[in-house]
Amino acid sequence: MSALDFVVLIGSMLGIAIYGIWRTRGRRNLETYLHGDRKTPWFAIGLSVMATQASAITFLSTPGQGYLGGLGFVQIYFGVPVALIIIAIFFLPIFRRLNIYTAYEFLGRRFDAKTRLLGAALFLVQRGLGAGLTIYAPAIVLTTVFGWPLDLTIICSGLLVIIYTVAGGSDAVTVTQKYQIGIIFAGMVTAFCLLVAKLPAGLTFTDTLALAGGFQKLNAVNFSTDIHQRYTFWSGLLGGTFLMLSYFGTDQSQVQRYISGASLREGRLGLMFNAVCKIPMQFSILLLGVLIFVFYQFEQPPLLFNPASHQYLEQHNDSGQLQVLESDFQKTHNQARQQIENWLDARHNGDETGARTAFAAAAAAQQQGEAIRVQAEKTLSAANSGTTANDADYVFITFILHQLPHGVIGLLVAAFFAAALSSKSAELNALGSSTTIDFYRHLINRDATDAACVAASKWFTALWGLVAIGFALYAHLVENLIQAVNILGSIFYGVMLGLFVVAFFIKRVGGTPVFWAAVAAQSLVFVLYFNLTISYLWYPLIGCAACVLLSLIIQAALGATNKSAPAS
Amino acid sequence: MKHPIATEPSARESEETGLPLFRSWKSVYLFVLGSFVFWVALLIALTKYFS
Repeated sequence: MSALDFVVLIGSMLGIAIYGIWRTRGRRNLETYLHGDRKTPWFAIGLSVMATQASAITFLSTPGQGYLGGLGFVQIYFGVPVALIIIAIFFLPIFRRLNIYTAYEFLGRRFDAKTRLLGAALFLVQRGLGAGLTIYAPAIVLTTVFGWPLDLTIICSGLLVIIYTVAGGSDAVTVTQKYQIGIIFAGMVTAFCLLVAKLPAGLTFTDTLALAGGFQKLNAVNFSTDIHQRYTFWSGLLGGTFLMLSYFGTDQSQVQRYISGASLREGRLGLMFNAVCKIPMQFSILLLGVLIFVFYQFEQPPLLFNPASHQYLEQHNDSGQLQVLESDFQKTHNQARQQIENWLDARHNGDETGARTAFAAAAAAQQQGEAIRVQAEKTLSAANSGTTANDADYVFITFILHQLPHGVIGLLVAAFFAAALSSKSAELNALGSSTTIDFYRHLINRDATDAACVAASKWFTALWGLVAIGFALYAHLVENLIQAVNILGSIFYGVMLGLFVVAFFIKRVGGTPVFWAAVAAQSLVFVLYFNLTISYLWYPLIGCAACVLLSLIIQAALGATNKSAPAS
Repeated sequence: MKHPIATEPSARESEETGLPLFRSWKSVYLFVLGSFVFWVALLIALTKYFS
């Protein structure tokens, strides 16, 4: 990165943080600190909900998913519209009517204190760990590529977000997220335009799609009913609806965003804004990855995108295997490129047979190249005790670094940090709020004044920030980063959703049955996760269904016991 | 400290969307579902046509 890139990066990050602190100075009472000033319009709520969900991992890793796996990942978002409509109709009016600070307060009012604490504890555990990943994920990718010290990057970005979130509370999160998402969109649109401009001159829009489709990168919808396949229409629509319903409806980091609206209307419209925009937004980010794939059919890509993996292989390359793999990879790429150019010529001349023959040869060469890449990954894994290259996380940043001009590089790195800070600040704000309202004020200091609660909330927010930094400093990479975050959520969200489904829709179930049902259902999800190989998207559905069914069974059993017990 | 008093949203607040084209929430939800169907159809077409 050049000096210009650093000026863009540091200027935008510090500028937004300072603005957030200045705009929200003087937030002293609990209502404005946790709910904001209750004047937030729907557009700001919509952007805030979007910025909270779209972390840096979304923008770093999703194009890599598109590059390697095509558009299929978009199916995970098929549940968003239905889930958000359900929340707008059922969840939001009740949350607003009760004027609660956290979603788990509602569980306390509907059931009892222990169920409220269970819901809040499930949230704190999974979101506390997730907050560590939110800050670790961009740091590990960016430091690997740029050679920055990892620990220092994690600590600096972590402290920056702690400072403005602690200072301004919920409003600081909303105010900064508006500008952060502006930077994110500016960066992504710029990258998209420059990428399109970099594609070969003779390649038309339909040529590009035909080329990507020929390599199976445009397989967006898969109707397979195989539950072991991770991304299908059914897992996205059914499992995805439960995952998104759990996330948007029961995760305090999201609930806190949309209950802070000026009215029910503003909250609903903010949610509907996301229901309409989420799929096209994710589609565009994945398409960016597919276009990078097309671009690299005409430019030599690296054997492994992760520079640390490549460096490790270089250092442990006693037999010269790396040079052989790289040489073979380059040869197959040149063959594929030659055949793609032949395919283009034949296509433009109307020679269908020639086009088919050339494309088949290009596909064969491309498959050979892919086999060499897999061989390199296996060599890495064998040499470094199971380490994987996690190339998906490094595809986009490699393209940015090697193909885009200075200034734009700074803008895009700023976009990644903006995304990290925006979701991180909402998470910390929610963790601090829940700890204060559901534990501190509920268990420790029932007579706490507003000022004491605000002070406690600030301390808890800072504490959770430090916990997240600590977790990030010692975290190890697990699979692809965006999948790791989704898997973590899937394990916990189903049971949380089950608690809320029972609370909203099954009036006859009381606190004790639903509490033990949730404990049993969460245990079941853990057991299944470690013993089955089904797509993680099914776990929210399984957890929710188990919690609902078990609560009905336990309620029926307790009811029968009570009826059969002799009257004293 | 006391919890803020629960407030009922007025019936008017619940009913009105304030949008020129969509007067009721039902029409807003139908629009959202329509846009979802549009995107899924587009993605299916992309999958079928180019693969």
